[in-house]
Amino acid sequence: MTTRRDFLKLSALAVAATTGMPGFLARAATQATGDRTLVVIQLTGGNDGLNTLVPYSNGAYYAARPTIAVPKKDVLTLTPDLGMHPSLRPLAGLWDKGQLAWIENVGYPDPNRSHFASMAIWHTADPAQAQADGWIGRVAEKLGDPFCASNVGGTTPLALRADTFSLPSIESVANFGVKLPAGLEDAFGAMLAAPRGGEADYLGRATRQMLKNTARVQKNAKKYREGATYPEGRFAAQLRDAARLIAAGVGQRILYVSHGNYDTHAGQRGEQDGLLGDLAAGLAAFHADLEAQGLAQKVVVMGFSEFGRRVAENASAGTDHGQGSVMFALGHGVKGGVHGDSPDLENLSLGDIRYKQDFRGVYAGALGGWLGLDARSVLGGEFKGPQWLA
Amino acid sequence: MSLSPYSKPLSAEDAAHFLRRTAFGATDAQIRALAGKDAREVARAALNFPALGAGPQPTPGNPFDPQSGATPGAMIQLTRAGWLYELAYSPTPLREKLALVWSGHFVVGTDKVRNGPALAEYLRLLRTHAAGRSFAAFALDIARSPAMLRYLDNDQNKKGKPNENFSRELLELFTTGIGHYTEDDVREGARALSGWGFEGGRGNQNYLETPRFTFTPRQHDDGRKTYLGQSGNLTGEDVVRLAATHPQTATFVARRLHRAFVADTPDEGAVTGSAETFRRTGGDLGAVLEELLSSAAFYGSRQAVIRGPVEYLAAALRTLGQPRLDPKQLVTLTQTAGRMGQLLLQPDTVKGWDGGREWINDSALLTRMNVAASLTVGKAAPEVTQWPGELALLGSERTLLRPAMAGLKPAQRTYLAFISPEFQLA
Repeated sequence: MTTRRDFLKLSALAVAATTGMPGFLARAATQATGDRTLVVIQLTGGNDGLNTLVPYSNGAYYAARPTIAVPKKDVLTLTPDLGMHPSLRPLAGLWDKGQLAWIENVGYPDPNRSHFASMAIWHTADPAQAQADGWIGRVAEKLGDPFCASNVGGTTPLALRADTFSLPSIESVANFGVKLPAGLEDAFGAMLAAPRGGEADYLGRATRQMLKNTARVQKNAKKYREGATYPEGRFAAQLRDAARLIAAGVGQRILYVSHGNYDTHAGQRGEQDGLLGDLAAGLAAFHADLEAQGLAQKVVVMGFSEFGRRVAENASAGTDHGQGSVMFALGHGVKGGVHGDSPDLENLSLGDIRYKQDFRGVYAGALGGWLGLDARSVLGGEFKGPQWLA
Repeated sequence: MSLSPYSKPLSAEDAAHFLRRTAFGATDAQIRALAGKDAREVARAALNFPALGAGPQPTPGNPFDPQSGATPGAMIQLTRAGWLYELAYSPTPLREKLALVWSGHFVVGTDKVRNGPALAEYLRLLRTHAAGRSFAAFALDIARSPAMLRYLDNDQNKKGKPNENFSRELLELFTTGIGHYTEDDVREGARALSGWGFEGGRGNQNYLETPRFTFTPRQHDDGRKTYLGQSGNLTGEDVVRLAATHPQTATFVARRLHRAFVADTPDEGAVTGSAETFRRTGGDLGAVLEELLSSAAFYGSRQAVIRGPVEYLAAALRTLGQPRLDPKQLVTLTQTAGRMGQLLLQPDTVKGWDGGREWINDSALLTRMNVAASLTVGKAAPEVTQWPGELALLGSERTLLRPAMAGLKPAQRTYLAFISPEFQLA
């Protein structure tokens, strides 16, 4: 009788033996060097950078935002000019230890104010929007490893799309296992093995790849014991799953977690305050967990949003779509501090800040400086950024 | 140049294909009843929706009444489950399929719209205009619906203090698509739409109260504007009409319909054909759909659309012959659809669901396997005594899966078919 374990082994063999796989999957995987992980945090919806890293000494900021500006007395002071939104207090300890970096004024040429076009630019690392695959998908192709990065969440972002398929999305590590009804192993194997073309072939390949991925995760996931108390909510649960995947040594170099909804056209203070609080509490717990696991040295977090928002508030105590925003990074591998100049609020472009740092320079640091990969070949050019890594 | 018609009488496989695309699938008997018929007549009959009834849901026997929800959250769950019931059991499945498509086009979300009558009215508009005579009328009704006014903040859009959210998405996502308007059009559109709002139904206490559209002249900017090349003292009605009747809108909407009914990656030549019909008929969606659903392009495209989570569930239930489920099971299924990436009335973003390969990832595939088991071999599964047949399950009478299924019980065969690539495609 075939046991479940044998069945999964057979499935894995079936994958290797099947033709019609994407070229890079069939190639021998390049041995990825190092055991470092990059965790990418996406703030979906266009996070308002000016109310995140607040220019509290700047009169123009308060003049443009009579209702929604963060009062100076509430700001968590970082420098003589800048302070964090009070909801980010859980990250203050990381700042004090030099493990939190803010990267000012990040954007890209010819800014696009559509959420989707702008997010696609960040995902493909291509402001011309000519690339069909994502920057992390390209990392997978370079490494020849379809499991070198995973999204933690329900829907795979474009960033993780490779030429002919997508990297895995793991909605929950606990449920990431195949439960086949008894007695159907052989029939299932035979059903999957039938020759197919077109989208049916794509679905067949995706199913076989899923069998491999789940087997890999389940083999290791039990190693993890939570080392910190996470707050309630989906974002924190996803960070806990990210910690679990890192602790299990499953092999991902990049993990991707999204947090939203930052599209604050109305009533921004209430909405963004809550979101930033959720963000900071989740990240602080994640970092504490990694410290407890002895893994914090090996993980860097990098966060971005598709654009910042208009400098002036609108009539609904919110802000419309803008350009340029802050990025953040945290971890032992980060050089704490503020990198780059703050935006000039008296020299705007259509009411928006003018960006100074191309985001691809920040990506280049993560790829080259942290993961030890050839950033140039992933990004399609040489991009320089601030020295945000220690 | 409109689409060329499919001129042959429908074969059994043609009929199975038509019902997979327009009715979320069907039983063997329902498929065979269409075989031999004329493609145009079949399309016309499927699009001939009777007028909507006055009740909260169109189908008698729908057990869900959102107005009985004890809290806003319960009301939303009942709304979702009530719609899933329609998707799986309504006698006009094409209307529900179209409403689903339009809910991914004119997107609103229950994260912001937490009012029962507003959601019911939104659904009623999607169904009423699903294959209606005028896309522009559809767009205008949606633009003035409290659900949309709330979701994209146009109720906050006031003279001198514009809120651009709706104005932007009107162009980018609802009508012309990106690349056919400027940032100035977005700003001028917001000026024209200023003063549109709604009264009633706000706040957690009033989630069962009916909100009504309002126009507040003192909050409306009645100055001169230029929008999509037209100048004048444009009103909100003017900009919605200009956007909805813009030549690029025909292509944008035609591509949406081709993605829903022909292929995840549509042929742009065929899209152009439908766009021309759209322009020629002044945006008559019924005419565009009737031509599309009886075209050679439609019948020539097999297994090219990946069924989304909700379609997958509706397809499973309809292929099983619409077994009675406990209302609790239907509520659970709406949540399962959410875990697979499609929570009804709550797309992740205002862009709606991208569909196609975006539906497929490891976690979603695992959930499909689990839900397939629960509907066939699980403890609470409806009894499957008869195997629905290859034609109903897989769209073809002779498939390569026959050997894999030999010797299995009907419920086990059905389970395996449900998790096959072939069933997951339409």
